Amino acid sequence: MSGGGPPRKRNFKIEAFKHRVELDPKYAERTWKVLEHAIHEIYNHNASGLSFEELYRSAYNMVLHKYGEKLYDGLQSTMTWRLKEISKSIETAQGGLFLEELNAKWMDHNKALQMIRDILMYMDRTYVPTAHRTPVHELGLNLWRDHIIHSPMIHSRLLDTLLDLIDRERMGEVINRGLMRSITKMLMDLGPAVYQDDFEKPFLEVSASFYSGESQEFIECCDCGNYLKKAERRLNEEMERVSHYLDAGSEAKITSVVEKEMIANHMHRLVDMENSGLVNMLVDDKYEDLGRMYALFRRVPDGLSRIRDVMTSYLRETGKQLVTDPERLKDPVEFVQRLLDEKDKHDKIISVAFGNDKTFQNALNSSFEFFINLNNRSPEFISLYVDDKLRKGLKGATEEDVEVILDKVMMLFRYLQEKDVFEKYYKQHLAKRLLSGKTVSDDAERSMIVKLKTECGYQFTSKLEGMFTDMKTSQDTMQDFYAKKSEELGDGPTLDVHILTTGSWPTQPSPPCNLPTEILTVCEKFRSYYLGTHNGRRLTWQTNMGTADIKATFGKGQKHELNVSTYQMCVLMLFNNADGLTYKDIERDTEIPASDLKRCLQSLACVKGKNVLRKEPMSKDISEDDTFYFNDKFTSKLVKVKIGTVVAQKESEPEKQETRQRVEEDRKPQIEAAIVRIMKSRRVLDHNSIVAEVTKQLQARFLPNPVVIKKRIESLIEREFLERDKVDRKLYRYLA
Amino acid sequence: MVGKGEAPAPRDPEEEEEEDTGGVVKLISAEGFEFVIDKKAAMVSNTLRNMLTSPGGFSETRQGEVRFPEISTHILEKICQYFYWSLHYSSGQETAEFPIEPEITLDLMMAANYLDT
Repeated sequence: MSGGGPPRKRNFKIEAFKHRVELDPKYAERTWKVLEHAIHEIYNHNASGLSFEELYRSAYNMVLHKYGEKLYDGLQSTMTWRLKEISKSIETAQGGLFLEELNAKWMDHNKALQMIRDILMYMDRTYVPTAHRTPVHELGLNLWRDHIIHSPMIHSRLLDTLLDLIDRERMGEVINRGLMRSITKMLMDLGPAVYQDDFEKPFLEVSASFYSGESQEFIECCDCGNYLKKAERRLNEEMERVSHYLDAGSEAKITSVVEKEMIANHMHRLVDMENSGLVNMLVDDKYEDLGRMYALFRRVPDGLSRIRDVMTSYLRETGKQLVTDPERLKDPVEFVQRLLDEKDKHDKIISVAFGNDKTFQNALNSSFEFFINLNNRSPEFISLYVDDKLRKGLKGATEEDVEVILDKVMMLFRYLQEKDVFEKYYKQHLAKRLLSGKTVSDDAERSMIVKLKTECGYQFTSKLEGMFTDMKTSQDTMQDFYAKKSEELGDGPTLDVHILTTGSWPTQPSPPCNLPTEILTVCEKFRSYYLGTHNGRRLTWQTNMGTADIKATFGKGQKHELNVSTYQMCVLMLFNNADGLTYKDIERDTEIPASDLKRCLQSLACVKGKNVLRKEPMSKDISEDDTFYFNDKFTSKLVKVKIGTVVAQKESEPEKQETRQRVEEDRKPQIEAAIVRIMKSRRVLDHNSIVAEVTKQLQARFLPNPVVIKKRIESLIEREFLERDKVDRKLYRYLA
Repeated sequence: MVGKGEAPAPRDPEEEEEEDTGGVVKLISAEGFEFVIDKKAAMVSNTLRNMLTSPGGFSETRQGEVRFPEISTHILEKICQYFYWSLHYSSGQETAEFPIEPEITLDLMMAANYLDT
């Protein structure tokens, strides 16, 4: 009575029931016969007549009387004999009944084994461990394995039947999955090794050749999308198969077979497939196909990197075409819009189909960075895009829409390597917007500045902010001026002056033109007023930047208000005293620089509907021998006529060169400052390290050219900020 | 443990399901005395458990009675007492030692070995 009982004295030796030992030499033989008979009866489904207690007692006594070995061997040989019989009956089963019979016999054997183990429990408990024999249940399974599964007549037939059924299921037939499940479970019960060696391994081999053939067939006749659909379906089928009637451990193995045969082996061909490969999917926004490709390819080594590589090179290629297409360069706004559209398109693909994969996002970003910087006009164009939006594009848009657009622009901005070039253009464009009063929303302007500030720091935007301040102070100054001097001025022309701090504004020094006397008087009054209130300042007129509203009366007495630039105003005022003037006359009287004059005359005389001047000879272009007349016959439906200057919005080639040069000039002090900052802390550094550090410090603004850095270092040596090391000429020292 | 010599109502074999611990079972000693005990108590013995739950339908399983031609009445009685004591002990209701009279110790041990208890 082990278990819950209180400790009892166990150290005295218990003798066997001596009085029970019948010295009958035939005792063992007789008892075994009883048991042997019982075992046969159990296999014959005849156990109901047997007494468990009697059989148990018989086995118990045999073991007790040292006949354990006889009992065990007897069991083994009896069971072997039975199994050989069973094997014969399974072998004779015809066709489809084979598996049924095998399964039925297996069930029988299992049940019999259970019963035999129960009656021989005492042997299992005492004889088996001491004699190091195999426990009854395991013995039964081993015998089944050796005499049934490994029987030459059954072994290969079983495997073929199983594989055939699976093959038929793959071809669409319905098979008895329950039976399959029982059989595979039997193989597992016999030990994982049996399942693996006798079924799984050949199963995987057959599957590999099946899928190798099928994938070959598919790839010849399907496009990429369809192929992937089929591969996905096959993969799901195999997983379903495992869950229905194979051991769970097979799932990884069979899926890897399918992955290898259907995906990995055809990966390159699929991605590059003509008319339906990855690139076509990207072009046509096939989110579903792309998602499928992503899900399948991520299962195989290098699958995703393959997709990524192809996507990257596609992006770079199309991006490069986009930014270098001379047609595109004609319309900067459209150009940037295209970039944004491309970005949106691929962002969506990555989020919808590629599960927002970080590595894909990085690939997208690096591609954009790559091709945007291929075109050195990108900074200008992005600024022009913002300019366009802030001038008119945002009319009617809500605050949120504005934010969205600006955020997108900032995203492109981030890709730029030459952020200082952008700044330069942005400043120019902002100046034009502010001075011509064309900006639509002050909030949007400020929001953009804030974004630039967060991105690049205070330095980047300080001058831009200075421009806003100037605008505000100018307004106040003008109010004050008119409040104090209105009676003095009488009803001459109204003057609106913007006072621009030198340095904050991208002003090109241009000689002032000759203003009409009426204007000149007011200007002089303002000058004396301003210098009277502010000591020590200097005022210069930027006549190239202003605008004017003038009233004109035409031939039939119709009156129009003309909105023109300051230059145009100067030209038109000349016609108050003369009917016709030659180009030379106008140039002489106004002293407007030739290129500006040509442009302004062109817009006055050559634009249909706005031609307040008449030109002889009639032609599209202005030449120096032209003569201009006041156009009496001018008509317009509008009372207010706005005469734009024919401005090349986009910079012309020489202007571009000039801006470029100014940018280079501006970079010099920045590079020098960076060098000095670095040397001040490091004291001694070699040339390459300086170049690396400077590049790192400045890359938020632009990518400095190593040659330029070298020149700056030389210049600093000349000015005795640095010196070369006496011994190692590559080393520089900082001179405090 | 109740009713020496009392015959229980014949049991329907269909009631005997595997691991069915409800109901009672009759144990019959060498001298023919019958002990009717809860099946739950009989299951304390692994041998009895197998006997009562083996899948094949042995006569014991079907009839709900077990004959022990080699166990005498007083030992079987003691064993039945032990079954109940053990049930209580394992559920924590019993803390006292199980009393064993020295003169039956050996026979009891033999029976315990046989019954795998």
